[in-house]
Amino acid sequence: MSDNLARILRPNWDSTPDTSPSQDTRHIEIVSTRSQRRARPRIVYALSAVAGMTTIVVVQLLLSVGISQGAYEVSRLQASQVELGRTAESVTEDLVRISSPQSLAANAEALGMVSTSNPVYLRLSDGAVLGAPASATGSQGGSASLVPNALLAGVPLVTQLPQGAGQGASVGGAAVGAAAKVADVAPKALPNGIPTPATR
Amino acid sequence: MATNTRSSRRRIAGTIVLLFAIIALFVVKLVDIQIVRADTLNAESLGNRSVEQPVYGSRGDILDANGVVLAGTVMRYNITLSPRNAAEFTRTTDAGKVTVTVAQAAAEIGALTGKTGDSILAIISGALAKDKGSDYAFVAKAVDVNVFRAVDKLEIPWIYFEKNPSRVYPDGAVAGNLVGFVSSGGEAQAGLELGQDSCLASTNGTETYEKGADGVRLPQSTVTTRQAQNGGDVVTTIDSDLNWYVQQVLAKQATATGAAWGTVVVQEVKTGKLVAVADYPSVDPNNVNGTANHDDRGSRAFTASFEPGSTFKALTAASVLDAGLATPGSKIVAPYRYLPPNGANVNDSSGHADLNLTLTGVLIESSNTGMSKFGELLSDQQRYDYMTRFGLGKATEAQFPAEDSGILHAFGNWDSQTKYATMFGQGLTTTALQISSIYQTIGNNGVRLPVQLVEGCRHADGTMTEVPATAGSQVVSASAARDTADMLEMVYQKGWLAAKWNIPGYRVAAKTGTAQMPDGKGSYTHGYLVSVSGFAPADDPEYVVSVSLADPVKLNSSAASAPIFQEVMSQVLKKYRAVPSGAAAPALPGTW
Repeated sequence: MSDNLARILRPNWDSTPDTSPSQDTRHIEIVSTRSQRRARPRIVYALSAVAGMTTIVVVQLLLSVGISQGAYEVSRLQASQVELGRTAESVTEDLVRISSPQSLAANAEALGMVSTSNPVYLRLSDGAVLGAPASATGSQGGSASLVPNALLAGVPLVTQLPQGAGQGASVGGAAVGAAAKVADVAPKALPNGIPTPATR
Repeated sequence: MATNTRSSRRRIAGTIVLLFAIIALFVVKLVDIQIVRADTLNAESLGNRSVEQPVYGSRGDILDANGVVLAGTVMRYNITLSPRNAAEFTRTTDAGKVTVTVAQAAAEIGALTGKTGDSILAIISGALAKDKGSDYAFVAKAVDVNVFRAVDKLEIPWIYFEKNPSRVYPDGAVAGNLVGFVSSGGEAQAGLELGQDSCLASTNGTETYEKGADGVRLPQSTVTTRQAQNGGDVVTTIDSDLNWYVQQVLAKQATATGAAWGTVVVQEVKTGKLVAVADYPSVDPNNVNGTANHDDRGSRAFTASFEPGSTFKALTAASVLDAGLATPGSKIVAPYRYLPPNGANVNDSSGHADLNLTLTGVLIESSNTGMSKFGELLSDQQRYDYMTRFGLGKATEAQFPAEDSGILHAFGNWDSQTKYATMFGQGLTTTALQISSIYQTIGNNGVRLPVQLVEGCRHADGTMTEVPATAGSQVVSASAARDTADMLEMVYQKGWLAAKWNIPGYRVAAKTGTAQMPDGKGSYTHGYLVSVSGFAPADDPEYVVSVSLADPVKLNSSAASAPIFQEVMSQVLKKYRAVPSGAAAPALPGTW
């Protein structure tokens, strides 16, 4: 049938060249019916469907990549959190250990401090001296620690630390290193006692 | 044609039967997999990719009154190895790949864990000798995080780590005897760790998660199968700094006098709270094995009872005053030997002529015969009732594990000698805590408060439970208590140790005791238990200090315990900023 149509369509160039010159430019087309047009699939639909599916696949892939990337990130952060937690715990432990009474007393004594067990009070309201003043001799001065603490084994006193040991290699070293800085600014021993201002 | 039809029909029938048979087979298999074995298979498949791990609940801390940690939980790590897999391996270093032999690896581990390489090799060969397929052997238990990290860095493929939550006692032996300790397996064994275990104990939980082929945790796959429960914190009434000081002073004097053991109790007069309980020798809970004698691992202040001796005379005096049968100025004649009508035989510690003493003087001279003459004014039952009201014969309210109740026989069972001996602190036993409680009662206008060691169990949300009762009971009248305190002040001022225990600026009430120690077989040893108990400031009592030293061989009298009392009381008054006494003590005559 289309054959037929094609033949009919072919213009008769030789037989009737001048009978109807306007017919040369006349374009004849078979118009499909509306129902035919509706029935025919449009390429745009196919394209959009394919594009949509591709998009979904790509998005899903990206999402999955993102999630698994996130899993690695989460895993890495969790590992680092655990590590930091361990560090914090270890440093806290060192701090608590060197703030034990044994450590404080030994360090205070190493720095030349003595304790007095003879309290005297000055009452501000009337300037009364309560108690009997006497110089401190250090009630347990110089005695080694008689209350053991196995945790302090090997922890040096502030006076035994090398100068500028602030950057200790270990965590424990860093903790006591901070105390060493205090030692640096400690005043020198005063052979004649604390100087008193001459007030008249 | 007919045969053709028949054969085709037969073929169709055969096909259908075959088809049904196959479908039936599939259905059976499906039911088997999906229903019958579903749980097993699910679990198996989950097991291949899911990991179950314990979540450790942390055991509660034991804190002092100011929140200082006396016992805490830290994470430690066990290092284990797989003996059958122990082989050389290659390690990637900056210089390229290096082959590490077992001996080298063992030496590296040994250097970090404080062992020798040979001992690590011995662990491997020992485990393999026992079991060729051995996959598990301990290298080191409970190493800290620094060692753990260093060993982990060695990247030895046959080394594994386990978490091992452990106890740590940052203050060491400070209050170590009170805090107690746990076994390496985490079982509470002594002291508050044991007594307060129901508060401290935690329960471990579990969680499962799924992991990918590369071991990375899959997101959203973590399921907590059992919630971990942290333990509560035990808040004690102890001041760790003061306890250290007291232990230090006690240990120094106990060593100097060669004492077998000693205790010092510091108690708040107005609350009944124990602010320091020192024992010598004292255990360091971080190193329990360092204390060889098992008796030294507990707190003798709670668990050892002894005959108190003359410190007990304060109780008899307060009882007589409360009953209205005497005043501080009541007069008697105290002979060296007193033979009461019931057949008892009471002697003073050293020979003397008859003394004209008041009740005050009896306490100053610590005369047994004089105290007997006052004590016999009360009936046995009356004295027994006073003693029980002062808290004798039963364990204190502190609820310390294995606390001793002391021995106080019912008055009906007292023989003639015991009737008199119980007036001056022999023939019955008390713990250091009970003696401290007697002086707390006298200092607190006759009101005895429950002895308190623990303020309660503090939970994560801040609530306190198991708070002990604090209601007191009037044991003797306020005036009897006041008079007794005044008399004890005279003892402090005029007793033979007046120069040794002087605390300038403060009024102090105190009494010494020197009691023979039983040998546990019904008679006495040559050793003495020397003690001093008292409170200060006497005009407004704040703190009781009670010192006991057992068998100080180098100085066998209360002179051994007096310096401890002096130093500890001074420190207590200074630390708590007790205001020095203004007015002088009322002068009471000791003789007539």
